[in-house]
Order: sequence, then C-alpha cells, then structure tokens
Amino acid sequence: MEVLGIILAGVLINNFVFMQYLGLCPFLGVSKDLNMATGMSGAVIFVITVASTVTAALEQYVLKPLELEYLRTIVYILVIASFVQLVEIFMKKTLPGLYQALGIYLPLITTNCAVLGAAMLNVTKSYGVVLSTLSGFAGAVGWSLAIIIFAGIRERWKLMDIPATLDGFPLALISTGLMSLAFLGFSGLFANLVK
Amino acid sequence: MNKNKASLGYDFIKGFIQENPTFSLAVGMCPTLAVTTSLVNGFWMGVAVIFVLTFSNVFVSLLRKVIPDEIRIPVFIILIATPVVIVELVMKAYMPAMYNILGIFVPLIVVNCIIFHRAEAFAYRNPVLNSAMDALGSGMAFTLNLMLIGGIREFLGTGQIAFGSAVFPKVPLFEPAAVMLTPPGGFITLGALMALLNIAVARASKRKKSESQVG
Amino acid sequence: MEDRLLVTPAPHMKSTKTVQGLMLDVVIALLPAAIAGTILFGFRSLLVILASVASAVASEAIYQKAVKRPVSINDFSAVITGLLLALTLPPDVPVWIPVIGSAFAIVIAKQVFGGLGYNFVNPALAARAFLIAAWPLHMTRDWLNPMTYEALSSATPLVGFNATGQAGLTLTQMLLGQRPGSIGETCILALLLGGLYLIVRDVIDYRIPLGYLGTLALGTWIFGKPGALFQGGALSGVFLGGAFIGAFFMATDYVTSPVTQRGRLYMGIGAGLITLVIRLWGGYPEGVTYAILFMNLVTPLIDNYVIPRYYGSGHDAKARKAAGGETR
Repeated sequence: MEVLGIILAGVLINNFVFMQYLGLCPFLGVSKDLNMATGMSGAVIFVITVASTVTAALEQYVLKPLELEYLRTIVYILVIASFVQLVEIFMKKTLPGLYQALGIYLPLITTNCAVLGAAMLNVTKSYGVVLSTLSGFAGAVGWSLAIIIFAGIRERWKLMDIPATLDGFPLALISTGLMSLAFLGFSGLFANLVK
Repeated sequence: MNKNKASLGYDFIKGFIQENPTFSLAVGMCPTLAVTTSLVNGFWMGVAVIFVLTFSNVFVSLLRKVIPDEIRIPVFIILIATPVVIVELVMKAYMPAMYNILGIFVPLIVVNCIIFHRAEAFAYRNPVLNSAMDALGSGMAFTLNLMLIGGIREFLGTGQIAFGSAVFPKVPLFEPAAVMLTPPGGFITLGALMALLNIAVARASKRKKSESQVG
Repeated sequence: MEDRLLVTPAPHMKSTKTVQGLMLDVVIALLPAAIAGTILFGFRSLLVILASVASAVASEAIYQKAVKRPVSINDFSAVITGLLLALTLPPDVPVWIPVIGSAFAIVIAKQVFGGLGYNFVNPALAARAFLIAAWPLHMTRDWLNPMTYEALSSATPLVGFNATGQAGLTLTQMLLGQRPGSIGETCILALLLGGLYLIVRDVIDYRIPLGYLGTLALGTWIFGKPGALFQGGALSGVFLGGAFIGAFFMATDYVTSPVTQRGRLYMGIGAGLITLVIRLWGGYPEGVTYAILFMNLVTPLIDNYVIPRYYGSGHDAKARKAAGGETR
C-alpha cells in the first residue's frame, strides 16, 4: 500500500510542478509543442529515475557510513551532472532528431531542479534505495503529465491573438495557476497512505 | 579609468532593470515561487543567493583564464556547490527555523539558473571587480523581487506583513485569502505582476517614442 | 426573439447571433434552478445571484474597455458565468464573495486568454476552486436550512453520506431540493428540467451528463457503503452534492469539452470517476469542481487522440492524416 501511496503522491497529490514548484523552467520553456514536451518527458523520467537510485545508494552506502552528509549537495550535483552528460552523448548519437529539437534544454536537465529536488525529497523522507527510485519515477511521471497537459493547451494558443503584454511568461504562469487549482482537488487524497 | 568606473556602476545597476533575473530573464522561477509565502522568507532566501552568487562569480572570474573550456561546466558546478554547502551549514547552525522553512530550496540554490547564467554569461568573460558587481546587482535585484512577491502574497494571504518583531498591522474588515499562500496564488500573482510590468514598460516606451518624435 | 430560430447544433459557431441564441438558451435553462434556490433559501440567495451576475458583466465590460477590445456583454456568456458561479455557492456567503469570484472568473480564467472560446477551463468552476482555497470557512460553512432560512453550522448531507452511505433524506426531499447545499445544486427537478430543455434544443450533448452521472451512480453503488460492496445508494450519490448541476451545465461547456462524441463520453466518465474518488477517499467532501476542471485540462489531449470515426469514417481519418493530425 505504501507503493500505491508513493505513486499517487508523485503523480497527482504532490505534483512536482503544481504543488512543489519543481522543474518550472523547462515546464514553462519546452511546453509550446506537444511532441517536444513528450520527448522532454521521456528524458526527464529516465534521468530522474536513475538519479534517484544512484543518489539514494550513495546516501545509504557512502555518505551515511562515513558521516559525510554535509557534503550531500556537492556529491549529488556532481553525480547528476555527469550522468546527464552521458545521456546527452547517448542521445546525440542515437536520436539526433530529438536532440536537435530539444536544443539547449537537454544540458539544462542538469539545472532542472526537479532532478536534484527529487533526490533531496527522498532524503527528507528517508526512503531507501527501492522506494527512492519509485518516488523519483512517480514524481517524474507527474512532471511529464503536467507538461503534456500544458503543451496540449498551448498548442491551441497558436490560433489565438494574445496581446504582447501577456504573451509568454505572464500567460503561462496564470495558466499554471489555473491548472494547479484543479490539482488542489487531489490534496488529502488517501491521507492514510500518503506521506 | 573613468570608463571602467562607469562600467562597474553599470554592471551593478543592470541586474535591476535590463537583466532583472525574474522580470526580464525569467530565471530562477522555482525558488521565486516556492519561498515567497512571506516577505521575510524571501529576504533570507535572497541573502543566501547573494552570498552564493558573489562567491561563485568572483572565483569563476579569478579562474577564468585557467579553466579549460571543455570542462568549465563541472568546474562551475563545484564553484557554485561549495558556497551552497557553506550557506547550508551556517543556516542550519544559526537559524534552524528558517532553514526548515526554506527546506530543500536551500540546497537547490546549486541549480538556480541565475547563478549558472551569471557564471557562464558574465563572470567567465569579465574581470573580478566587474563580476562581483554583476553578482551583487543581480543578487540584490533577485532579493528585492522575492521580497516584493513575498510581501504581496503574505499581505493578501494573512492580512499582515511580519518582519522579525515588526508587524505591519492587520487591516480591519479585510478577510485574508488563504489561496495566496498556495501554489495557485503564487503562480497567478507572479503572472499578473509580470503582465502589469509589461504594460508599464510598454506605456513608458510609447511615451518616449512620441516625445522623441515631437522633439 | 426571431434570432432564436437561427440556432444550430454544430459546435463551432462564428456568427454572434447564434452564440447569443445558444447562450440565451442556457440562461433560460438555468432559471428554474435559480428560482428554486431563491424559494428554498430565501432572499439571501437572490442577493448572491444578482451580485455575481452584476460583477461578471461589469468585469467583462471594464476589462474589454481597458484593453480596447469590442465589449461583448450582449452575448450573455458573462451572465451565464455569473449565474453558474452563484448557483454553486452556499446561500449565506458574504456578498463580496460572489463579487470577487465572478471578477476572477471573467478576468483571470477567461478574458486574459482572449475571451469566449479561448479559455481552457470553465470560468465559473475555476472561480469556485479559487474561492474554496481563498476562504474555505465561508465556502464550507455558510449553509442555510431550506424553507426556514436558519443558519446551519454543520456539514451538508453529502458529508454524512460519504462517511456512512446513508443520505438521511427521502427521495422527494432530494428531488425537490429540501436539504442544505449550494443555492442551485439542491433542486434536482429544476436542474433536470433545464438540462432536458438544453438536450431537446440540441444545445448540449447528452453523452456528457449520461457518462458522468452513470459512472458516478455505478461507482457509488459499488463502493458507496463503507465495509460492503454493491450496497451503496446510487440515486443519493447523484442527487446529493453538485453532480447534477455539474454534469448538465458545467461539463457540457462547448469551449472546454471535447468536440467528438466519443471524446464527450470519455469526458463524462472521467469526471464521474474523479468525483467518486475525491468524495470517498479525498480531502474534500465534494469533488465535482475539481473533476470537471481536471477534465477541462485534458480536453485538448482527448481531442488530439480521439478521432471521429462515426461520421464519414474513411474520408475523415484520411483528411486528418493529410492535415497532419495524429492517427493512433
């Protein structure tokens, strides 16, 4: 049941974008096109899931036994940065089309605070390696749900005549606010299962 | 000499207007929304960012001729993560309550786009003093933005603004709207602020244009 | 009045005359519920309705004047938003609540996106969710007893029903709306009258309310009684709370619901499921607002992935493919 709670919390109840303010830069930046949003989602789910596993393992088997928890931020960000570098090289070789489309955003996964944020949340909830992986995966799926929903909405804006003063960030932020109003309905869901 | 002084002043000032982190560059959105449930939270987050930003900008600038281009990103990350760890330890020791409120957003300063952006776009190409000015300007502008957003949300959401022991008193008959402290309130407040600012800028530039045409 | 003869059922109307006609039909369909609410909960509810409508119309006019766009208050859409919001409010709320709510609905949820046709959530529901988050005590406590107009500090019957599976009301009481609740949600007969009028006039598609109420009834029957399966009160599940007004008047909003028939059925079923989950296992007693808002959010995706096959199947799919549409 704890597993179900973690999945629901990650995807809906404590959604990264709408409830935790994580990963907002790529959420606002890469959501103009549905295909790009889907591609970015794939990359983010992969990176966050693996990064959650690796950081949780480091926490449990290295930082804790050596009492080096105060170096956590440095260790985590270095691990995440090098891992993202690997994904980038891999994607450039195998999926050049997607790599081209995601452009500057792929290196930005390093500074997507959802990756480090997911790892840090796992620490505060003191999940082990398995639950951390699950929690990271669920959170990333929730982030993807948010950006795919938003991209669907934004695709319709292409037909719309938006005044210059609202175009871009102002309207995107107001829309995010309206979307998170809808997600408020999930708060308190299965309160006995969700941490 | 004179020119350099003017440039130092400009490097400080530009962070407030042309390169305002929130309102013109739109970077660092996550902490801008996450910690702005009150003015004082925004203030302390801002102070932490000023410290990290100045530290990283100064060291990136000092080492800019030594750092090889290919590995500059990991080096930046270390130069940013070090002051973040210092901030974490200091805050934990001296203001544990605030450290708990700001939560994971203190370690997350390390991935704040503002800091990376200033290192890459400015400090890596400019002398130390200019980089320090750039950091102070951007950092203070960011702090002011957080305090502005935090102040608006705190006032509308609780009916008062508290800073230490000083409390801006409650307004009679005003029923605070708790929604302002929740994520929807944050998103909508920032979106509306940006729109209002755009309108003000558009009006000002229009007036300038018509004045210059007359002149 | 001749304009009303021009009403056509297709979803995309360009002529302002037909938009006005459609909207007028919706206003007419909402009148029975508004009248019933006024009788059941008294003068206060009429005041809330008037304040809400006035604020909606004024906000629309002021915003459009300010951004120098043509003022479109004659199309009745602002009236509907104000009326719908008022009907979902507790009758004893302070008058400034509908005033702020309607202004939020019109400006933030609708006009900043370019006005009618461009909003992606139902404005009245977005405003209701905003008001619940802003002033939760007013929105969950300001109930009145029907006919006696006495203030009631306890929860509505839905809360008890969610917890115990017992409505504690007779069928007649539920049909006539003789229970505490939001102004326009309680009188099922009035809502049914308005809803059927809209279906007969081809203003709304029956698939959304059918899918919604059907799913909710079925789910309540299966899970509605704690500790037992298949013993819940299906009828009470759809008659209590705001499911009826939501299913007929909110979920059917053209702009924020799918254009295909199948998509509309999915919208109804999805909203029914989310309502059920929030009622039985959620943090709020009622989930109608959030369920419909969530389905509003996924409406573009439903339209993207659900391709109409029923009318002109072969041609249609090919045409969409040629136009670059998704075919999955």
